[in-house]
Amino acid sequence: MPVLSGVIDVLTMKSDRPVRRLVAYYVILAIIVAIAAFFFPNEMSRIAAKGLGDVPEGPTVLNDALSSPNTGVTFGLGSLLGVALTTVLILLGALVLILPVTWVYMSARPSGGQHNQNVVQTLVILPLVVAGIVFMVQNSLALAFSLAGVVGAVRFRTTLRDSRDLVYVFLSIVVGFAAGVQSLAVGAVVSIVFNFVLIITWRYDYGRNMLMPTASAQWSRPLQALASPTGNHQIPDRDLMLSLTPEKANALADRFDRVRDTIGKKKKARYNSVLHITTDDVAEAQQKVEQALDRMTKRWALDELVTNVGKPSELFYLVRLRKSIPRDTLLAGIHANAGDAIASADLETGELAEDKSGDKDKDKG
Amino acid sequence: MIGARGLVLLAGLSPWVAACRETPGAKAAEVQAVEATRKQELARRLALADASPAKSLPVAKWIMPPELREISGLTLTSRGTVLTHDDNIGRVYEVDPKTGILLKGFSLEGGVRGDFEAITIAGSDIYLLESKGKIFKFKEGADASQVPYSVFDTRLGKECEFEGLAYEADSTRFVMVCKKIRGKNETHELLIYRLPLPLDRATMSTLRVPSEDVIGSNKWKGFHPSDINIDPITKNYVLVASREKGLLVMTPDGNVVRSEPLPDGHHQPEGVAITRDSILIVSDEANVKPPAITLYRWRR
Repeated sequence: MPVLSGVIDVLTMKSDRPVRRLVAYYVILAIIVAIAAFFFPNEMSRIAAKGLGDVPEGPTVLNDALSSPNTGVTFGLGSLLGVALTTVLILLGALVLILPVTWVYMSARPSGGQHNQNVVQTLVILPLVVAGIVFMVQNSLALAFSLAGVVGAVRFRTTLRDSRDLVYVFLSIVVGFAAGVQSLAVGAVVSIVFNFVLIITWRYDYGRNMLMPTASAQWSRPLQALASPTGNHQIPDRDLMLSLTPEKANALADRFDRVRDTIGKKKKARYNSVLHITTDDVAEAQQKVEQALDRMTKRWALDELVTNVGKPSELFYLVRLRKSIPRDTLLAGIHANAGDAIASADLETGELAEDKSGDKDKDKG
Repeated sequence: MIGARGLVLLAGLSPWVAACRETPGAKAAEVQAVEATRKQELARRLALADASPAKSLPVAKWIMPPELREISGLTLTSRGTVLTHDDNIGRVYEVDPKTGILLKGFSLEGGVRGDFEAITIAGSDIYLLESKGKIFKFKEGADASQVPYSVFDTRLGKECEFEGLAYEADSTRFVMVCKKIRGKNETHELLIYRLPLPLDRATMSTLRVPSEDVIGSNKWKGFHPSDINIDPITKNYVLVASREKGLLVMTPDGNVVRSEPLPDGHHQPEGVAITRDSILIVSDEANVKPPAITLYRWRR
């Protein structure tokens, strides 16, 4: 594996972007397959496209059942080695096709989501088992019924935390099937398309409902509620916040409210909004966004810079809005000033945005 | 750059690599050697069969490769080879029945799928019959090629489940045999459709033969033909039945010449052909046994 990793590093110029590393992996795989297909065409066609019913290449001498009474079914060291070799090849094929799927599974997690190690290991093992079963059952109705009976007797049920995990498991089964019916070409295409589609949907956050708040917006209420009215620690630690679920943060915020009511201190929060910027060029984006913030907000502070691998980096600013400049105007101003440098800008605001004090001071981030 | 050690490694591997890489010349030489040996062996076996009083001894039985597990109809080419086809995919194979060499395989364009039941040759065209009465017409293709095709629908699919197709060169017409008349549990007649060339539904006619004539003295409950072909010498129709494992010979007028069980050893006879030098060829689809083509001396 270190060798493979080293070759991928060379091809991708040590890039950490998943798409580049995936492309490099598949390029290496394609080269190996092409070389193997050149030197061992029969073996490769046996595992890559046999299930598709290939047309035989060139003349084939048929068995004479009269001079060999075993009607062509021969059993010996040669046939045994042939079966063993085919089995090894289809299992290896399934393994090399499922490996990048596990990498994608581990990389393309939703923000803050952790992958499940059990699922990763299942993804690796499942296609091998499925391939073995299908290879054995192939073309035998009797064996298929037997298998159904055996599987029916074994009950296994588990609940997956994320419904997307189920799709990975399905893909794992597809790759196993393709290997089992000796049609690894189909498995390869399915695996490649799946990986790239998944990476792209993850990269562009495909499917977000534009009418619904963004994933980060669900934090606006707890963020606002947890803002201390004392002026110190206006926005709680973001990492701490995001380690909670929104429901737990809400519960925590309710508790803060009760404590605040008990103490009786009412003071405006220093910041009332969180500005979320995504960008591929952090330095330029930071400079241009901060110019706009200087001009259009009462005060702001850079809260966090998150550098992502394979997708745009993220900047989080704590902002106090001016009454005269509402949310949309501020976003339009940011886009006008830094449109080229940023991928997206989003502003989560709380009720405390209604500020009437006309405070002019600014904190430079 | 390849270093000295790399060159040594490559030099060491080269004979092994050359051995692994199949050379077409070596393969062709091997096939030619087998061909010559088998022709001699077949001549010897035919002479033995001619001298033997037992009529049902096979002279050769070729086990077909897994690709032909769904082998169905047979038809003779002018070269003395037979064309056969896959049951589910529009794919045709050429086999030399006298040497057991699979010569080539080609497919209909686009890998067309269907329930193909019979094949025949008329002039330079090849015709495949689907069980619902569709006839696919195409030219012979090179090995591993795909050929364009056209389709003629007899629109008889609702009336009959077709299993056999043959071409009567003398009267330039197809004969299509019906395995089962749809809507009837048990048919009391053998139904054959005749379709002259050029293909036109308006010129179609039928031949009906009572079941009792077909069954004769056999203990069959009916006769469900799985293929039909023409004896090139007598021009009689020769039919095989998969369910009854029987053989029927009848004149084009519908008079039964003989009906008899096939020799033992046929698990699912799906195709029949007769050569000019009097060899009966029967193909068997795979079930518990592998697909096979069996040759007998044909006695008229």
